[in-house]
Amino acid sequence: MNTFKVQSSTFKGAAIAILSAAMMVVAGGNAHAMLTAKANHDRITIDFFYHGSTVSVKGLSDAGRDLVIKITSPEGHQVMKQKGKVAGVLWMNVGTLKFENTPNMYELFSTKKVDDILSREERAKHTIGYDALADHVEVNPTANAAEKTQWFGEFVKFKEASNLYRTDFGKIEMNDLPDGHQEYFIQTEWPYQAAPGAYTVSVYAVKDGKVVEQAESHVRVEQVGMVKTLAGMAKDSAAVYGFLSIGIALSAGFGVGLVFRKGGGSH
Amino acid sequence: MYLYLPVALTSINILIPVGLGLAVGLLSGLFGVGGGFLLTPLLIMFGIPSTVAAATDSNQIVAASTSGTYAHWKVGNVDFKMGLYLLVGGFVGGIIGVQAIKLLHAMGNADFVIKMTYVLMLGIVGVYMFIESIQSMKKSKSAVVEVREEKESAVGRFLKTLPLQTRFEKSGVTHSALVPIVLGAFVGILAAIMGVGGGFLMVPVMVYMLRMPMHVVVGTSLFQILFTCIEVTFLQAYTNHSVDFLLAVLLLVGSTVGAQIGTVFGRKLKGEQLKVLLAVIVLIVTVKIVFELTLTPSLLISQAGGH
Repeated sequence: MNTFKVQSSTFKGAAIAILSAAMMVVAGGNAHAMLTAKANHDRITIDFFYHGSTVSVKGLSDAGRDLVIKITSPEGHQVMKQKGKVAGVLWMNVGTLKFENTPNMYELFSTKKVDDILSREERAKHTIGYDALADHVEVNPTANAAEKTQWFGEFVKFKEASNLYRTDFGKIEMNDLPDGHQEYFIQTEWPYQAAPGAYTVSVYAVKDGKVVEQAESHVRVEQVGMVKTLAGMAKDSAAVYGFLSIGIALSAGFGVGLVFRKGGGSH
Repeated sequence: MYLYLPVALTSINILIPVGLGLAVGLLSGLFGVGGGFLLTPLLIMFGIPSTVAAATDSNQIVAASTSGTYAHWKVGNVDFKMGLYLLVGGFVGGIIGVQAIKLLHAMGNADFVIKMTYVLMLGIVGVYMFIESIQSMKKSKSAVVEVREEKESAVGRFLKTLPLQTRFEKSGVTHSALVPIVLGAFVGILAAIMGVGGGFLMVPVMVYMLRMPMHVVVGTSLFQILFTCIEVTFLQAYTNHSVDFLLAVLLLVGSTVGAQIGTVFGRKLKGEQLKVLLAVIVLIVTVKIVFELTLTPSLLISQAGGH
């Protein structure tokens, strides 16, 4: 299972921080620069009928900027099984790979291809794009860089298959405003596979191959009601939960048996 | 309609687990197997994490085998005495098997040994059952009796010399109490190593080595699986926190009904016909595993945990 350390302090501050769009100027001390980001639907609740959600991010930036929007979970540690060929013909699990500093979810949206608008150094600095993420994470055991790249690639394929990793460009809607700013907006499917936790939405304004401004917002995903009760019970009262599961199974088995005897009576 | 599973942390269309449960419950009622070897990989295919799939499957088998045991007991097809002896053996075998896995892991290559054991056992059991039951279906009844007597004289003489001979009324056989205990232990060891319930091994052992009638075999096997899966469910819930209660309920809605239908169907079929069908299913599973082992997988990485 994945284990992610989610800082609880993030949760406490989140409610206030989310409502007001966070704004910060990163580079250049440009007095006119402005970038805002607001994630609407910033608290996603998981009940029995939850099947994913949609999240939209909107804000303002200076006109003429390219934008990159990154949605990530906190970084953590993941253990994966590694398949390989045994005896030349048989595919099976041959070992485990440990991924460190790895987010469980990583989604990237941009106005243009990130390779075309950002230099390699800038992408590495802000962990933008799979290449940059590959350099950022640690994969053990791997013998050399080529092996690491290969297995990180497989990891990305695995995550993409469960809708947790994604890169996409051209989906951000832009609108020029008369005051020299531009409005941006993107609506994206929030995958139901994303585990409860705190997620960060980072928006980068890009000019001349560099990130010139950065803004941040948060999305919090949490279980509520019976889902929360059951999940909590499975962890905290494991013995009771075990007996309950067995008890329900036994009574369901007997119950259906009795119903069939009354209904059928075939001997 | 979709429901969110609190432990599996994913959402699933409820028709999938209910349908899968129905199919696997049908197999349970018909053949006396738990069906874990089919259901667990299917659940993983539908996005359930492997640890949760294996653990929840055993919880579901508790329900299906209760339903099946009850249905078979009503028509007098459960040999409780034999079931208890097999259980004692299976319990001891399980403990030995778990130690064997630790040893295998320490030596490396554990997965290779496990997969090979799996394929070989399934293949041998499937082929043997298939040939044997086709032959006995072709031959006249008297010829079958002759063959049986001939075979029994070989192994039977040795078994008769063992102490603690006891009569199993329901099955109509006499064995030393040691025979079911040792055979139960043997299946228990293999089941623990392969991480399966062992129904598809226990059924042939009861048919060919204990010489029990097929219909009693199915009922008794279910009775025995019930206890094994109660133990496994508890351990999985307690130590791994990997039983998804809601998923289990969805599965058992289908499987308890399936087990009843399977039992009714099974009574309409002859023992030989049941054996041929089970042999075919076991062979299909074997072929599927061989394909999985030899074709290049689409993903070279998977979630750790489970088997």
